Amino acid sequence: MYAPTKTDNYPTQTSIDQAKVEQILAHHNPNYISPTLPNPHSPTSPTSPQTPQTPHSRPQRNEAKLNKQSHINFLARLLIQGFPDRYTSQDASQPWLIFWIVQGLSLLGVGLDAGNKQKIINTLLACQSPLGGFGGGPGQAPHLLTTYAAVCTLAIVGRPGPQGGWDQIDRKKLYAFFLSLKQPDGSTLVSPHSEVDVRGTYCLLVTSTLLDILTPPLSASTPSFIASCQTYEGGFASASQPYYSPYFKVRNESTLMSDPRPPLGEAHGGYTFCAVASWVMLAPLRPPSNPSSPPNPASNPQTSPSPRPEYPTSQFTPSQEEGPKINTRSLVRWLTSLQGSPLELGAFRGRTNKLVDGCYSWWVGGCFGVLEGLGIDGANFSHYSHSKAHASGGQGGQGEGEGKSEEDEWADDDDALFNKRALQEYILYAAQAPTGGLRDKPPKHADSYHTLYNLSGLSNAQHRVHPSAEVTELLEKNWVDTPPPSPASAPTSTPPSPPSKTEETEETFERPDIYLSKLPSESYEAWNARRKRIWMAASAWSEDESEGSVAYVGGSDNRVNASHPLFNLTITHSRGMLNHFYGQSFVVPS
Amino acid sequence: MPGDSVLYSERPEWSDIQPIAQYETVTPVAPIFYSDEYKDATGYFRAVVKANERSERVLQLTEHIIRLNPGHYSVWQYRWSTLLALGSSLEDELLLMDELATTYLKTYQVWHHRRLIITELGGKSNPARELRFIRQGLNVDSKNYHTWAYRQWLLAHFNEDALWEGELPFVEEMLDEDVRNNSAWHHRFFTVWQSGVRAGEEDREYTLNRELSYTKEKIALAPNNGSAWNYLRGVLDFTKTSYSTLRTFIEPYTAPRDESEPEVLDLDNPLPSKDAQLPCVAAIEFLAEIYESEVDNAKRAAELYRSLAEVHDKIREKYWNYRVGEALSSAGQVVAS
Repeated sequence: MYAPTKTDNYPTQTSIDQAKVEQILAHHNPNYISPTLPNPHSPTSPTSPQTPQTPHSRPQRNEAKLNKQSHINFLARLLIQGFPDRYTSQDASQPWLIFWIVQGLSLLGVGLDAGNKQKIINTLLACQSPLGGFGGGPGQAPHLLTTYAAVCTLAIVGRPGPQGGWDQIDRKKLYAFFLSLKQPDGSTLVSPHSEVDVRGTYCLLVTSTLLDILTPPLSASTPSFIASCQTYEGGFASASQPYYSPYFKVRNESTLMSDPRPPLGEAHGGYTFCAVASWVMLAPLRPPSNPSSPPNPASNPQTSPSPRPEYPTSQFTPSQEEGPKINTRSLVRWLTSLQGSPLELGAFRGRTNKLVDGCYSWWVGGCFGVLEGLGIDGANFSHYSHSKAHASGGQGGQGEGEGKSEEDEWADDDDALFNKRALQEYILYAAQAPTGGLRDKPPKHADSYHTLYNLSGLSNAQHRVHPSAEVTELLEKNWVDTPPPSPASAPTSTPPSPPSKTEETEETFERPDIYLSKLPSESYEAWNARRKRIWMAASAWSEDESEGSVAYVGGSDNRVNASHPLFNLTITHSRGMLNHFYGQSFVVPS
Repeated sequence: MPGDSVLYSERPEWSDIQPIAQYETVTPVAPIFYSDEYKDATGYFRAVVKANERSERVLQLTEHIIRLNPGHYSVWQYRWSTLLALGSSLEDELLLMDELATTYLKTYQVWHHRRLIITELGGKSNPARELRFIRQGLNVDSKNYHTWAYRQWLLAHFNEDALWEGELPFVEEMLDEDVRNNSAWHHRFFTVWQSGVRAGEEDREYTLNRELSYTKEKIALAPNNGSAWNYLRGVLDFTKTSYSTLRTFIEPYTAPRDESEPEVLDLDNPLPSKDAQLPCVAAIEFLAEIYESEVDNAKRAAELYRSLAEVHDKIREKYWNYRVGEALSSAGQVVAS
């Protein structure tokens, strides 16, 4: 049951590092019994006949408990008291520090008082650059990643109106900033003079979706860039070598490689999350199908046909007529392959043959939530396996015959493609730091980043969140078109932004730049139709509360809130911000 | 140097600059408690940015801040545009990067800045020296993502035969050090398959056979190595080679060793090492896929997937059951059509 990773008696650095981690994790597994187990934290020799454990060195069965209060205290302390000197390395990531804390609290069901919300709004607005977008701190250059962190935090703590944070986002400049970073291959720089990678693509797409500035020019060629980052393993790399030469003065075109756009770097969990979520967010931009005209290959994301394409699939021979594709079969295979063994308590690693880390609970585990957006889950074929009896107690870290409380009974009929139970066990048994907060792995310290991404991964393993057909229908019915400006009141161009101080009264305040995402060539009808598709696709994600879809290891006291798989915001926060920027007021009934 | 420098506020040569506090009107949440040295230096940085000053002292200031916080991307950006504005020696800047990249290996910016320098130097740069520098970096951290991505960018960007020439021996050296280093396997795929056809590799059939032999040998050495299996699958997918062609090789890996069988030496199909822990999950999966691709063999494929779900790889039970369903349903489709 708890066999160490097979090394074929051929040790290398990888297997040595792996064995060390497995030894440590064994001590955090309440079901792992071995009298000769050496304690890696103690100087006791591995060959010592004595059992080195103290009674406290290993969690007890009833310790499958999420220590919510100590995590809340940990996060609240960082928010109010701040970070020690060693966090200077995060000085260029201040909106991230705030996002990790505030979203972590949201998942734990904690809202903030009006005073602290306002302080956060003011802090983030101080990071907004005069050039558009948000930087890592006041006076820093705007950056796609910190823009994501700032906008998502504002989704949680902000509100419409004066000083609310939402209408103070300068969307016009933000949109211009985004366009300025676009490269001919569909990629984007993360900031001027900076690198290209799919994290930037993801952050751009999340914020432009939330703020109603996602347009065809902004997403041009992005699907083919994403597709080019998929590696032979099935996951995605950070970026790919562009097919064009960005520096003509240095190299001429003839030196470009004949086989263009190889991925730079190996398949990686973090980049894969960003790539796949981006792929899903681009789907509503696909124009309504028109069989007479072939779709534009550069803006038409597709996946391999479901349930299965001709075997073996390969994305290496993309057919230009059909547009860029990603190989979802190899993607799913690779994602599931990253889940650790029972000895590793079912945690995820980020790359083949690397060590598990709690943050991949979200970057890899969360990908399975994102895949729901492509209609991929275990439900397609679940009737083949549901009929058979499950002999052992749990599927993951559970030994047979372990006493389980009534509440802890695992229905075992969820349709997930990965082992949700085991992942929850890793988070509960190994990722919680004794003094609050969550971590990469023991014996490391907790930090705000690992606290959020462990909690997000836990959320994804507890809930099933998917684009609901019923909710989509309701959204479709209740969408209200934004009317064209009436000739009397409206200027011909977009209104000025932001409104001057004198206009900021509760009564007359209006969303600035409501027509910002309308293209000059586009009719108001086409513009509304496109916005409607984007708003619906983003708002339709809902929690599936049917039996077997929700399961909490350790009981329902361990429940954390469900998270939107594309944004990592709660469903309520996501829809609230979307409604504001798309001018909608429909609230999905719960 | 960090730690022992005089504050800028006490330096006469900086007295013409009025530093700018980070938060002028706002009391921030989640503040970082910076050292006085860092607070002082970044205050002056904000001021020179506001004044758009490009000078030697700006280069000193930005280097100072980078040493305190190499992740400060705005400082890197400003340093880069200042270097260009002043026409500073990029060769000297590269020497500085040699030192900083070694100290701050995991920072995005040290690698990107290097890329900007090399790109700007163009024909005057020395990419072969870069390859040697990268090799040293990999000695410290053999799976560093940025280091590998930088190497791949460098090769693709210059795309010179002389540079490519050494890549295969280099990868083999890395894999000899650690056959489980997935970064090295990826680099092999990049070099052999995804960056054009190298000089001397025009015979793709030969290349395919060489890669298959190499990979089989590495699998035989330590069969439970996901990186080698993924490479093998990658090669077959890329070249559209049927998995069935490897059936003879695969089969001994799918079952416990039969000690009674006399060992037959087959150079094309190396047997698992003496210490191999069999059966090997990846081999069972591979064989199942062979069955799945054959007419009328879906049930055997399903049986193998089921054995993974129930016996050999229970953590992935859900996934393997999904594959059972897939195999059986596509078999249904074949019968129906």
